[in-house]
Amino acid sequence: MDYTKTQQQLSLVRRVVFKELLEGYMPLPVDRAACARWAKDLPRSGETIIYTSYMYQLGSVFKSYAKLLERFSGVRFASRFASLGGLVVKPKKDELERAALILGNIVSLLRRSYPQLAYLYEDEPYSGALLLELGFLDEFQAYGKKVFGFLRERGVRRVITVDPHTTNALLRLKNLLSDDLDVVNYLQLVHPANGGGRFVMHDSCLYSRYLGIGSEIRGILRDSGVSLVEDRMVTAQDTSTCCGAPLESVSEELSERIARARAAKLASVCEDVLVACPLCYQNLSPYVQSVHDIAEVVS
Amino acid sequence: MSDEWGVALERTIQNNTPRLDRILTDYPFIPNHAEKLRQVKLDVLDHLDDYVRATCESVERSGGTPHLAKDRDEAQGIVREICGNDGIVLFSKTNVALELGLRESLAADGHEVWETDLGEFLIQLARDHPSHIVQPALHLTKEMAGRLLHDKLDASITENSSYEELVACVRAFLFRKYVAAKVGITGANAVAADTGSVVLVENEGNIRMDTVVPSIHVAVTGIDKIVPTLDDAFLEAQVQSAYAGLYPPTYINVTSGPSSTADIESKKVTPATGPKEFHLVLVDNGRRKAQEDPQLKDALLCIRCGRCYFSCPVYWALGSEWVPPPYGGPMGAMWSAIVNDDTRPATLCTHSGGCKVVCPIKIDIPRVLEHVKWLNSKK
Repeated sequence: MDYTKTQQQLSLVRRVVFKELLEGYMPLPVDRAACARWAKDLPRSGETIIYTSYMYQLGSVFKSYAKLLERFSGVRFASRFASLGGLVVKPKKDELERAALILGNIVSLLRRSYPQLAYLYEDEPYSGALLLELGFLDEFQAYGKKVFGFLRERGVRRVITVDPHTTNALLRLKNLLSDDLDVVNYLQLVHPANGGGRFVMHDSCLYSRYLGIGSEIRGILRDSGVSLVEDRMVTAQDTSTCCGAPLESVSEELSERIARARAAKLASVCEDVLVACPLCYQNLSPYVQSVHDIAEVVS
Repeated sequence: MSDEWGVALERTIQNNTPRLDRILTDYPFIPNHAEKLRQVKLDVLDHLDDYVRATCESVERSGGTPHLAKDRDEAQGIVREICGNDGIVLFSKTNVALELGLRESLAADGHEVWETDLGEFLIQLARDHPSHIVQPALHLTKEMAGRLLHDKLDASITENSSYEELVACVRAFLFRKYVAAKVGITGANAVAADTGSVVLVENEGNIRMDTVVPSIHVAVTGIDKIVPTLDDAFLEAQVQSAYAGLYPPTYINVTSGPSSTADIESKKVTPATGPKEFHLVLVDNGRRKAQEDPQLKDALLCIRCGRCYFSCPVYWALGSEWVPPPYGGPMGAMWSAIVNDDTRPATLCTHSGGCKVVCPIKIDIPRVLEHVKWLNSKK
């Protein structure tokens, strides 16, 4: 394995992402208002918030983060490059529309229990998950203190996350900072609803093997009328594997190789794949016939 | 990696996973053994100096010679001195010996050096690297092994030869080497501090030959393989073989000093039929430093069952290209940082998490690799 390129890429991502986060709470300049447009009738402040961390709105951008940096920099891995300058990334229209459906559905699932659910709209900061997952723990904690401080200033006491990467990042941050902010994922709060279809479930690694809620999620799906096809060698907790998305910022080629392999395994069980993570959706989509998010099949 | 790698790996996983499922069903006490093993190994790491001292004293009591090597150079020097200037030296797939470059250093001294584990023997013939810690030739299909043996050992073997013919060909070759060998070098699945015994698990019978037929037996292993008692060493042998999918193991070998007899008036005499010398070389090579790092320390609990390899999509994609040999897979990404100070492989961890789920010793491998990634970011 030639680690020269991966080390250079990591170095570039580290410099740029940390600087951008400290300056603007986002890993890259983006039209945040467009990302927040999905929500119309949620209060802008409250003790309990839904926290998207832009994962559904910008999944394709996060997936190609390193490639974007490379393109914006103009100079491949130039050592002096450390800023995105005045560039602004435009979210994709179809991705925003899909995110609006998913996030709107999640809100409707939560509203029964949380009628006062709030949303920070374009003020919402990114979680810092990218820093954690690439092992930049010093930067992750430094930025995390800023995020938690911001949330406290806004009177937030309970954060309801909607994706595994943000959930894992905030829980890790709580652990590292010994903070008592209440962090919970929406799938741990919702009750069985209306659903349908027959799928093979591609578990999120973080939900299944880190947070240990894979069985809970299956329970909600089954009780909602969704049929899941299981295979001991493909979908069990100890045999299912990552889609490769977290490696996009380190090695796009390796990430795609892992995605193709995982997609082939899933397709051997069922052509219709169900995911619970916007990055899994992004990484598997090119290689499977159909892929849906949980919040697209349960409402 | 090649298409043949994908085929070989898929076949291995399809064979191995159901076999382990059956083992854990048929022998339900194994997970409890693993939990107990974790506890005793943690105790050793918390009192490492005491256990190293006790192990050396026990080896001396049993008539063997203990050695401590702080790094690769010291270990090579000790083993070269024991082996002398010529003669046949046999190895029994010891990953620590690969870590230390012992085979190459002895060959450079003029020794005729042979691996005796079938998989490692094939790797040696092919001048290749091991692709798995328990099954080093995992990446070779039967057809590839047949072509290799045809080219290097026996022209009558072909890619169409049967599995049995391939094994018999190597067996016949190695038997000629066993009877002429001067030194047998093994690793250790566990070393008992209370008796100085080395416990080794195997199925082929090559370790039994390596440890009995040559006149000198050298066991080279890391200080992380020490457990408090011989009872604990058997525990490790059982847990390691079970999670490697090979339970019960065909052989568990115990060596406590050189061969001896007390058949005449109960007077203990050394040597008897087996080796006249037994040496235990305990190697540090980064392990003490890891033991002092609270996040890295857990990696030292690894029992080398190789289970984590099969659960890892990065290993599936890259095979032995991921981590420089001898260690590979998720455990290798940790151990590369310990023995080679190479933190780069950890950066390819995609935190799939299967390694954590399948590890019998409950090492939180992703958390260790998160720490190694952080170490990498500090360089």
